[in-house]
Amino acid sequence: MRSWIYPVGTVVILVVLWDVLVNAFSIPQYLIPAPETVVRHLIANWKFLLGHTWVTTYETAGGFLLSIVGGVLLAMAIVSSRAVDQAIMPLLILSQTFPKVAVAPLLIIWFGMGVQTKIFVAFLIAFFPVVIATVAGMRAVETETMELIRSMRATRMQIFWKIRLPAALPHFFSGLKVAVAFAVVGAVVGEWVGSEKGLGYLLLWANANLDTPMMFSVLVLLMVIGMILYYAVVWLERIAIPWHISVRGEGPQATI
Amino acid sequence: MVADIHLGNVSKTFPAKAGKVEALGGIELDVARHEFVSVLGPSGCGKSTLLRIVAGLIPPSGGEVLVHGQPVDGPSSKVGIVFQSPVLLPWRTVLQNIELQVEVRKLDRAAFRDKAHKLISLVGLEGFADSYPYQLSGGMQQRVSLCRALIHDPSLLLMDEPFGALDALTREQMGLELQRVWLETKKTVLFITHSIAEAVFLSDRIVVMSARPGRIQEIVTVDIPRPRTLDAMKDPRFHQAVDRARKLMNAAGLPE
Ligand SMILES: Nc1ncnc2c1ncn2[C@@H]1O[C@H](COP(=O)(O)OP(=O)(O)OP(=O)(O)O)[C@@H](O)[C@H]1O
Ligand SMILES: [Mg+2]
Repeated sequence: MRSWIYPVGTVVILVVLWDVLVNAFSIPQYLIPAPETVVRHLIANWKFLLGHTWVTTYETAGGFLLSIVGGVLLAMAIVSSRAVDQAIMPLLILSQTFPKVAVAPLLIIWFGMGVQTKIFVAFLIAFFPVVIATVAGMRAVETETMELIRSMRATRMQIFWKIRLPAALPHFFSGLKVAVAFAVVGAVVGEWVGSEKGLGYLLLWANANLDTPMMFSVLVLLMVIGMILYYAVVWLERIAIPWHISVRGEGPQATI
Repeated sequence: MVADIHLGNVSKTFPAKAGKVEALGGIELDVARHEFVSVLGPSGCGKSTLLRIVAGLIPPSGGEVLVHGQPVDGPSSKVGIVFQSPVLLPWRTVLQNIELQVEVRKLDRAAFRDKAHKLISLVGLEGFADSYPYQLSGGMQQRVSLCRALIHDPSLLLMDEPFGALDALTREQMGLELQRVWLETKKTVLFITHSIAEAVFLSDRIVVMSARPGRIQEIVTVDIPRPRTLDAMKDPRFHQAVDRARKLMNAAGLPE
């Protein structure tokens, strides 16, 4: 089974549909450019675009990696003690209710215009799903499993390393898949509020100049970044949890 | 001789919404070394609770619990437990699942490797050491959990409806196998079951309990020589014991 046929097929169908609609309704280029125009724009400006794409890529990847480390550490703290859980969780939920775009300018004031601010914004947005998923995973250990490991007189450390951590992996990877998309958004938001490079900056610039082909090119590149990072996570997941049903691929559709 | 298990006036109450649930009361039982004792009783009469108390997983509310003459104050190294479900870790192979017991108890891995393989063949799982749980049938998984309960050479084997989820034929096979393992390893066994025939076939004595609060109604002795074959089920003594147990179960007021 060629698993790439479906995602690629979907993209091809969407692009064809886009092309047909643009032509059928003669939509002017400044509203929605045809796919062909976007592709030509991408090719003509590839060097310029690649530079900005690279900037956004490492900001995203940096924020994403940071969100993994921070998210897992926070999840461990939350699971390890009820007091920590009750102290941190409300703050965590609260922190998610105010929009990051609103606090980003403040972060620029605190941390400056450099790359570290963008990484931090990406981290701020991406770590939440990691925490929630990892906590859920570590708690998803059944009573009987806990009784089993307790009957072996396991220490807290042993319970963590041998049971909770591996049991949390499937949830953890689900969290990462959400986080990776969030990290892209975070990097772009970080660039919006203060930067002179990166795809977010380019997006603002294109917007101000009504350069729709440029805008669409940037959007395509953002999607490409998101896809590459997403499939990197999927690839890691296959290596890390080959035993899990989601990877074994014996979902309901396989047993019809 | 000191009994392997001594229960003196053991009781257990659980807190509940409306006051308390009295799960067990006035339990008096002595299980001798190498004895095979079954516990039979209607659902909810406290059989699992009794097993958890003997295993040291939960404390009794009152009474005295001794294993090898020592008060039980937590899980012990002399006990092996088989739960109602196999409770195998899906990320570990058959061998690794069995060796969990060795690792957690910090025993010598290399020294127990041989023993693990011996147990695997003892229960008829040769060739499956490196299989993952999802590749095994329910009966095979339960046999793995039996190996795991035996690997550290406990003198006491506690089994909570280990064959409850199996079909009748597999169940009979597992019963025969358990008898063989028991005759070979000479453990003291406390075996919980819903099946009267299974209890009679396997046991030296059968503890029949009544429902809420769980009390011992009567202890039925089964005097059929070992090893018992399936022909033992035609023995008049087999029928006597089954009839007696069934009468007691009916008197308990609930279907078996
Ligand atoms: N942790 C608990 N908290 C509160 N009540 C409990 C708890 N564990 C068991 N009970 C109650 O104690 C009683 C006995 O439960 P137990 O699980 O020992 O029954 P059982 O004989 O094993 O039943 P079954 O044959 O269905 O497995 C039940 O009424 C149950 O509701
Ligand atoms: Mg039970």
